[in-house]
Amino acid sequence: MSGKDNGAGPRFAAKREAAAESRAQGLDIGWTVSGYLVSGMLAYGLIGWLIGRAVHVSLLLPVGMLVGLAISIGFIIYRYGVQGAAAQPKSQRTSTKGDDR
Amino acid sequence: MTGDVNALASGGCHIFSGCGFPAPGLQDFEWKPFFTIGSVGFTKPMLLAILAALVVIVFFWVAFRSPKLVPRGMQNIGEVAILGVRDQILRPSLGRKGDSYLPFLVSLFFFIYIMNVMELIPILQFPVTSRIGFVWPMVFIVYFVYLYLGVKNQGAWGYLKNMIPPGVPAPIYVILVPVELLRFFVFQPFTLGVRLFGNMFAGHLLLTIFTIATWYLLSLSVGLIYAAGSFALAIFVFLLETLVTLLQAFIFTTLTATYIASSLEASH
Repeated sequence: MSGKDNGAGPRFAAKREAAAESRAQGLDIGWTVSGYLVSGMLAYGLIGWLIGRAVHVSLLLPVGMLVGLAISIGFIIYRYGVQGAAAQPKSQRTSTKGDDR
Repeated sequence: MTGDVNALASGGCHIFSGCGFPAPGLQDFEWKPFFTIGSVGFTKPMLLAILAALVVIVFFWVAFRSPKLVPRGMQNIGEVAILGVRDQILRPSLGRKGDSYLPFLVSLFFFIYIMNVMELIPILQFPVTSRIGFVWPMVFIVYFVYLYLGVKNQGAWGYLKNMIPPGVPAPIYVILVPVELLRFFVFQPFTLGVRLFGNMFAGHLLLTIFTIATWYLLSLSVGLIYAAGSFALAIFVFLLETLVTLLQAFIFTTLTATYIASSLEASH
């Protein structure tokens, strides 16, 4: 394999690499977030349905789904909001000054 | 293909001829077997899947059977293909340490792409991945690699524990377990397979609808205008599908790369 840089220069290559990285990350985060939303509703909906069947309260299915959705949203905010912000470098958190995009 | 489409093509079934529109449907994804082995029928999608595998194997074998330092001909194309997967799919998720997974990802990407793109090749004109039975084995292989690498690198307990990010209070941890388990073992593999299948299924159906409609509407009447509109849409969908076939192979392989990355080390 030649391993050449297509003659485009290291700066362009770095930009392209960063774009590909953010694309892969975005794809992963997007599907993970939708996974949490659906799984939260399904998991706690199922738990609610099972408990509801045992105690003969059919309302526990929608309640379980809503609880699951709330848990998912809370966790998404924690994971990608709170933890995500903490993981970012300080310079990126405070200002976009010098951003040459 | 189906009786409907054959009847349409041979019988001159057009608008205003008293013939109803033979709408395509699920029957267009069912194939009569060429031959049967026991109770298993060997159908066109099976033949196309084998053909896709052969195309990938033969192409890369021809390209790299005697590699030169300065690439020429097929080796050039092969290198562009491999570097494309490496730089656009593997490196963004796995970095340089993931280069050992390049053969797996290259095979996966091109196998899926060739199976998808068969939709657009005359005579073949069927995307193998629009039959979900061909998608699940790939999802199974990806998930097997994903779980195997996760358990190998982090240990079974560590792998399960790392699904939930550190720093979460213990009660929240317990609350999250059912959500995380369902997401990991059900939602994630399900969407990985259904995304590919659904896109290819819908694309093929759209292409079939507009192609059949063009033929059906073709007549020396106002139907000619409708036929022209339908033909334009068929061309549009065809062009769209050239993008979708590539995009779906890209998404499947990119997600596989991100799964492998999260198996190699805790992603949080």
